[in-house]
Amino acid sequence: MTLSDPKVYLSLLVFLPAVAALVLAILPRLADESYKWISLAVTIFVFVLTLGFFRSGGAVDFEAGVAQMQNLFNVDWIPSFGIQYFMALDGISFPLVVLTAFLSVLAMGASWPINKHVKGYCILFLLLETGMLGVFMALDFFLFYVFWEVMLLPMYFLIGVWGGPRREYAAIKFFLYTLVGSVLMLIAILMLYFNSDLTRLDAQQLAEAGIIKVAESANAENKFTDDAKAESALADWLKSDSPLAKRYAEITKEADPTQRKQLHTFNILALQQMGQHTDLFDGDALWGKSVQWWAFLLLFIGFVIKVPSVPLHTWLPDAHVEAPTPISMILAGILLKMGGYGIIRICYPICPDAGYDMAYFVCFIGVFSMVYGAFAALAQKDFKRLVAYSSVSHMGYVVLGMGVWSAVADTGFNPDYWKMGANGAMFQMIAHGISSAGMFFMVGVVYDRVHHRDLDKFGGLFAKMPVYSGLAVGIFFAGLGLPGLCGFIGEVFVVLSVWKYSYALAVISAAVVILTAGYILWAIQRVYLGAEYKGPHGEALTPITMRELSIGVPLLVLAIVFGVYPKALLDYMQPSVDMQIDRLAAWTEINHPGGSNKLGNENGQVADAWRQKINALQSSP
Amino acid sequence: MDPASTLPILLMAAWLVPLASFVLIVLFGKYMGPHGKGAGYLSVLAIITSAIFSLIAMFGVWLPNHELPTSGHGDHNGAVSSATEESHAPTEHAAEHHETEHEYPNYSGDWYSLGEFGDLKITIGYYIDALTVAMFCMVSVIASCVHIYALGYMHDELHEPYIDHEVTLSSGEHLHRKGRFYRFFQYLSLFCFSMFGIVIAGNVAMVFVFWELVGICSYFLIGFYIERHSASAAANKAFLVTRVGDFGMLIGMMALWASVGTFAFGDMKNEQGEVTEKGLFSLLRPEEHHHHLAPPPGMIAEEERMFAGDPDGESVPAAVEEEHNTAGQWLLLIAGVGIFCGCVGKSAQFPLHVWLPDAMEGPTPVSALVHSATMVAAGVYLVGRFYPCFSPEALLVIAYVGCITLFIAATIAITATDIKRVLAYSTVSQLGYMMLSLGLGGWVAGMFHLITHAFFKGLLFLCSGSVIHAVHTNDMTYMGGLRKKMPITAYTMLIGCLAIIGAGFPLSVYGLSGYYSKDAIIEQAWSFASVNPQHAILKWAPVGGAFITAFYMFRLWYLTFAGKPRDEHRYDHAHESPRVMTGPLLVLAFFAIGIGWPIFHVNDLLEQGRPVGTLASTQGELLTNLTIPSEHDSHVPIIKQPAGIAAFSTALAGLLLASIIYLWRLLNPDELKESFKPLWGFLSNKWFFDELYDYVFVKPTLVVSHCAAWFDRNIIDSILHTAAAICRACSAVVDALFDQTVVDGTVNTFASGTWSLGLWLRRIQTGNLRQYVMFIVIGTVALFVTISIVQAYYIPTN
Repeated sequence: MTLSDPKVYLSLLVFLPAVAALVLAILPRLADESYKWISLAVTIFVFVLTLGFFRSGGAVDFEAGVAQMQNLFNVDWIPSFGIQYFMALDGISFPLVVLTAFLSVLAMGASWPINKHVKGYCILFLLLETGMLGVFMALDFFLFYVFWEVMLLPMYFLIGVWGGPRREYAAIKFFLYTLVGSVLMLIAILMLYFNSDLTRLDAQQLAEAGIIKVAESANAENKFTDDAKAESALADWLKSDSPLAKRYAEITKEADPTQRKQLHTFNILALQQMGQHTDLFDGDALWGKSVQWWAFLLLFIGFVIKVPSVPLHTWLPDAHVEAPTPISMILAGILLKMGGYGIIRICYPICPDAGYDMAYFVCFIGVFSMVYGAFAALAQKDFKRLVAYSSVSHMGYVVLGMGVWSAVADTGFNPDYWKMGANGAMFQMIAHGISSAGMFFMVGVVYDRVHHRDLDKFGGLFAKMPVYSGLAVGIFFAGLGLPGLCGFIGEVFVVLSVWKYSYALAVISAAVVILTAGYILWAIQRVYLGAEYKGPHGEALTPITMRELSIGVPLLVLAIVFGVYPKALLDYMQPSVDMQIDRLAAWTEINHPGGSNKLGNENGQVADAWRQKINALQSSP
Repeated sequence: MDPASTLPILLMAAWLVPLASFVLIVLFGKYMGPHGKGAGYLSVLAIITSAIFSLIAMFGVWLPNHELPTSGHGDHNGAVSSATEESHAPTEHAAEHHETEHEYPNYSGDWYSLGEFGDLKITIGYYIDALTVAMFCMVSVIASCVHIYALGYMHDELHEPYIDHEVTLSSGEHLHRKGRFYRFFQYLSLFCFSMFGIVIAGNVAMVFVFWELVGICSYFLIGFYIERHSASAAANKAFLVTRVGDFGMLIGMMALWASVGTFAFGDMKNEQGEVTEKGLFSLLRPEEHHHHLAPPPGMIAEEERMFAGDPDGESVPAAVEEEHNTAGQWLLLIAGVGIFCGCVGKSAQFPLHVWLPDAMEGPTPVSALVHSATMVAAGVYLVGRFYPCFSPEALLVIAYVGCITLFIAATIAITATDIKRVLAYSTVSQLGYMMLSLGLGGWVAGMFHLITHAFFKGLLFLCSGSVIHAVHTNDMTYMGGLRKKMPITAYTMLIGCLAIIGAGFPLSVYGLSGYYSKDAIIEQAWSFASVNPQHAILKWAPVGGAFITAFYMFRLWYLTFAGKPRDEHRYDHAHESPRVMTGPLLVLAFFAIGIGWPIFHVNDLLEQGRPVGTLASTQGELLTNLTIPSEHDSHVPIIKQPAGIAAFSTALAGLLLASIIYLWRLLNPDELKESFKPLWGFLSNKWFFDELYDYVFVKPTLVVSHCAAWFDRNIIDSILHTAAAICRACSAVVDALFDQTVVDGTVNTFASGTWSLGLWLRRIQTGNLRQYVMFIVIGTVALFVTISIVQAYYIPTN
């Protein structure tokens, strides 16, 4: 039980805020200020814990350049259903965990103006942080679902109690939308669970799924191949007294495969292996579609509600407009990322065949959201609503980038473009986490002063709040996708990767740059430029305070760092994303040789012919 | 010194010094001396340092290490005449020409990478050749002049408070605000950094990065007077219109990226000098093809995929099969035209020229910088840099866009009365010349004009700024006679005017800088028209443009400096500008006169920068009757002489007409205006482009955006609310039908049943002891019987 055990370290990271919330609840009545300070201290401590992963050489660290899961551990939780307390970090989840901890600190700092039921606010806020961190770390589907729901309720109350005038409406809308998503997700989880079978995986795959541990000592003996090592690890595991191993042994005792019972699992990594290497999820489910087709669809809908994509996005503007500033920051900065995270972690790897079938649908949803969100943002009169729609538009890049199934593009398998798209999408998630949280905070700063958000009643803020305006313009430009700031990298990577998949979608997605520039510049003009302030409470426009500065500046600095040197992020993220794409590309190569889902040629002959032609052209001088 | 190692370091230093200045001013500008005055000096120091580094790179490294090609005009005649003959033979033309193609020195490399995905790489790197070094010198020298000039021009901003007479507050007063001297220099430094970034960029993606940064700098500078609505609107317009171009550029980039998989211009070499990764230039113009443009296999395959993906395009792959030559050409055209779209936006070419005149809202030094060395020059520069990748058809598009632009802009300039707007339209028109020249194969002519134009246009703008500084208005109708009050400004501006109309002695080597470059363009146009008679309009438009140019430039000069003052009050207060402003004018005037002179070898230097493979005359693959002639063909006397005479005579005619109307007043301009009223109205409304775009693009976009917002509120949310209402109604129905009848009914029935059972049972509570005993006996017997039966029949015995 030391901190060098990932089990302890990760659990501490996840549950510390929840424990702190419990302590706050039990504690005798304190001054409001003290609750805020305690919560801030807790969020800072959690953030420091995540920074601890950067300390290389320690027992618990996160190495850059490693694709596999790191700090992996699993403990049986409800053995009869194969449910485990199973967590780990890889390049996909780690940046999101750090972002969550970081934004939680800033959002807590932005919570100072909140004066209503401070104790309750702090408790819910901390619970929310536990939920968010848990979602990104959990690798057991059941655990994932639990955290997903844990996050939902505090959010409902945070909007519904501390929100603006229409808070009840917004909160219930948020809640119902998300609940529908989670119900669909639950159905998919159960579908996958009841079709899963651990005994179908070989030793190597079980090792990949983190179920058996290939001992390090085996490395010393060179005569063993990887397979042999995994086999011996499997044998060792079967001898152990783990309940799962016992059940595995019991089931595999039955020699006749047709008589064998199935060993179901919630292990996400194992489900990925099954999705990619077995036909477990290929059975018919409904209306001639396979289990994984339905599972993909249900999960995808569940996740795009969270992203959100058009047409399931209307909860977002309402929730943002009504939510208090720090909650908007969390909502835009982190909650939306869970949708993207789910798509890349769960949808595609578990249901590759369905993802392959629906690649165009996914990309189309992404592009449509980009365009629609940008247009809708252009029409908004409410500053916060505008930023909310910009989130819809920017998160469209994420969906698009993940869906760019260029491995099937017909000019030979070239997964490089898909890698570019997926990495761009992941980058965009982090970049948007920074820029959108910043934008909402910037809106909050003026709202705290003048208590309105009507874009037509601003103007001239540059003269009254020069430092704030400079910061705000910088952060808005990060959202606009200006080079040198974080938004640019993700957008450009995604957009450039699309042509290889579909040039029509590529052209449309490129056109969004004009609209984005349009609504952001117009907003800047109406709010910050101009000779004089046109709204009420002009006297309240005092310069930015130290507290606000210390929230805004880190965001802008990060936006610049990631914009100028994206490798700072990609070094951690890219190996895992690339590995996943490589696996899916390999899957595509095997399952759809010469595949071509757009040419309408079942046998893929056209693509094959082309591939040969390219090879011929390339080999000739 | 080894150029391969020293040039990148020198130019990187020249590139990054302004960035350092920017960062310092952002953070500490306010504290640099009174009202941030020190920031101006810091910025000037930075750009002069850049200039010194650039000049060292040029004179210390480049020129000593690379012998300039000797391209005296006569020397090529022999080779050229044979080239002219061969250009009529489309087959094997590349092979015939390859001896005349030189691969001039260039150096490329990467500094660091933004992202690597398998073989795909997006990097920050450099590509340095003669053009890069020349551009560095030109940009840094002009920017230095502008910076120094701005120290004087922006002096107002040092006052506390600064009074902005253009802004009237709701209280009726003029705006009083703090001076923003240091902010101005902060943006100028960033602007120079971004421009250098474009010039040094080693790949298209990096160009795009700095392209956008230039855009945002121009946004800040044009909108420098943030309190003026017109300024912020102009800034938005500039950024948005150029973004429309960038949209096209993105498409071009995507087409390249998907088909070639690299953005790098040059080849990457390892330490042994072996090529490790091929760049765009050598992929598209392989050495095996004698540097003739040939789409690489990836591009051909990508094009086939594209057309096959499109159900209407079924026939195209078949056509591809038949005639292999056109394979990949369509995609090449898309890529070329796409990249050119970006240049159209930045260089304010038709149809995206509308932002440039509005950009005059910025302070005049900005206009000078934007219109000469940076921003608009970036577009032309990119066409020049990307030149090897343009197919002949793409070049024809460029030529026509340039041609249309030069004509439209020149006609609008005739009617403008705002001195800066006249110059703005003249810039647009001159940029049209450059594009035309590049599109017709005149690479050196186009780039040469870019450099000469930068100097004289910078000069003209700074002169106009000097005038505005003196009379506090842009409107020429309030000027006149100013040459007596401000002689240095007047005569340096005269030099600028003469340079821009290309004054010189025809058929000789004596003239102002514009003479050389403009004549070279017109020669190229005539040379092009001689082999492509169907495009004769491209021959006459530049000549006509020369006439209009001479007319409006001298109209401007006469209205400003000649004649009698039209506003005595302003005239009395006018004064020559301080030395900090006239000094740069004199320096630029010197360059405007002499930069084109053959003894300075600018032309030869540019010849050395010519991309390999672009000298040969080329034949269109899609338009088979299109021939882009070799640039050396334009030097043959049969073309050079008539073209030179035509250019000279039209310019002289323009000058004379301007003198007749505005100097000697033989014709009354107001009467002329009356008699050509419809035309005048059309031109002074700038061909109604702004109105057209407003109706065709801006308004529909807003309508669509309102539709989207409306759809959200009224359709999607209505569906949700309806669903919610249906749910509530259902539950009400369930409540009424099921809960209240079945569930409640059951419960109530059970309750009343129990109740009545109780009532009934009460009747046996008689209090009669014998009756109770009887019940007990019966009960006991019944129990015994039941147990016996159960035991006998239901409980198994074992």
